[in-house]
Amino acid sequence: MTPPLPHVLVAEDNTLVADAMRLLFEETGHRVTTAGTIVDVVRVASSDPVDLLLLDLGLEDGDGLEVLDQLRSRGATPKVAVALTGRDEPEVIDRCRAAGCRDVLLKPVPVSELLRKSREWLNGVGAG
Amino acid sequence: MNRADASAPQPLTQPMNSEGRVLALEAQLKQALQHIADLEARDALKTQFLANISHDLRTPLTAVITHAEILRDGILGPLGDRQRESITGIINGGRQLLDQVGEILTYARGAANQLTITRTTFEFADVLAQLSALNDALVSKKGLTLATEVQADLAPLHADREKVSHIVGNLLGNAIDFTPAGGRVWVRAFASEYEGVEECVVEVGDTGIGISAEHHDLVFREFAQVDASASRRHHGTGLGLTIARKLVELHGGRIWLESELGGGSRFYFTIPYVTD
Repeated sequence: MTPPLPHVLVAEDNTLVADAMRLLFEETGHRVTTAGTIVDVVRVASSDPVDLLLLDLGLEDGDGLEVLDQLRSRGATPKVAVALTGRDEPEVIDRCRAAGCRDVLLKPVPVSELLRKSREWLNGVGAG
Repeated sequence: MNRADASAPQPLTQPMNSEGRVLALEAQLKQALQHIADLEARDALKTQFLANISHDLRTPLTAVITHAEILRDGILGPLGDRQRESITGIINGGRQLLDQVGEILTYARGAANQLTITRTTFEFADVLAQLSALNDALVSKKGLTLATEVQADLAPLHADREKVSHIVGNLLGNAIDFTPAGGRVWVRAFASEYEGVEECVVEVGDTGIGISAEHHDLVFREFAQVDASASRRHHGTGLGLTIARKLVELHGGRIWLESELGGGSRFYFTIPYVTD
């Protein structure tokens, strides 16, 4: 039986960026959902377990990191959460790490780097 | 109304006693201070606008660059050489624009005093080696030579590594930009002492077009390029040296230059050795 495709949830309020990420991950063997608000991200992740959450910090209705607290309290923490941010100040990076992000990457992350890292993050997820 | 009375000669101003003059001056001063406060508030708003807009410009650029990289990397199917060349041009242009937007953002944060430094301990030689490698292609393309020299026993810096790299990167970028083919560019670092404090002095020099003495202060001012026609030949935000000065000052250091028109330039900055 074919293993299910890993579920990638792109939490991003800009549809241009979200569409680019959807294209990239769908074309490379993932199942992709996109959501632009904290409410939608939490709704999707609570009903459809997420293997990889790509989290933009500035969502329409607030700080993207809030998503992680809410999902934790619902027992729906994604297997891997990674922050994609436009700001690389040390305090932003520290805040993301403290909230439970595996990695913090500065946008735009080069596509080749994003794919290489996502293979590492998802190693064993979905395929096994 | 009796017009004849109104046209009677009157002194232009009433003579004032000294108390009256003090009151008038106080009123003028109050007005001037209010005016300054208004201008500062407007300046702060503009700075904030600059920070917001440059942050927002990054987002569509992210989409452009990501889509172009998806195509370039063959994720949607194989490409011919010329197609790849063209898409690489889109990516390079996009990344260059992104760097420039990043400079504006750094400037705006600096102007709004929103920049902080995070000190770690690192070897200056490592920073220089990275920058040297990064500029290698551009240096050879322009037919220049780049030499680096770090004092052998130079103590490691205790500073914000990324910001020190940013300072040297901006100075080196200018040196390369303003030096014609066949010229030399160099970076030297050595220990010194200033007012009883040990410091690291970094010199970025070139044999380029140089800057006349009257313009030495101007070059550190925001948006300034000494020669308006130079700003057309030498692309850039005109913020590189303003940002460098801000980042040096955040470290408690100094920045200055020695240069004359046609005689090349030597920019110096210092990073004091401090403990937390």
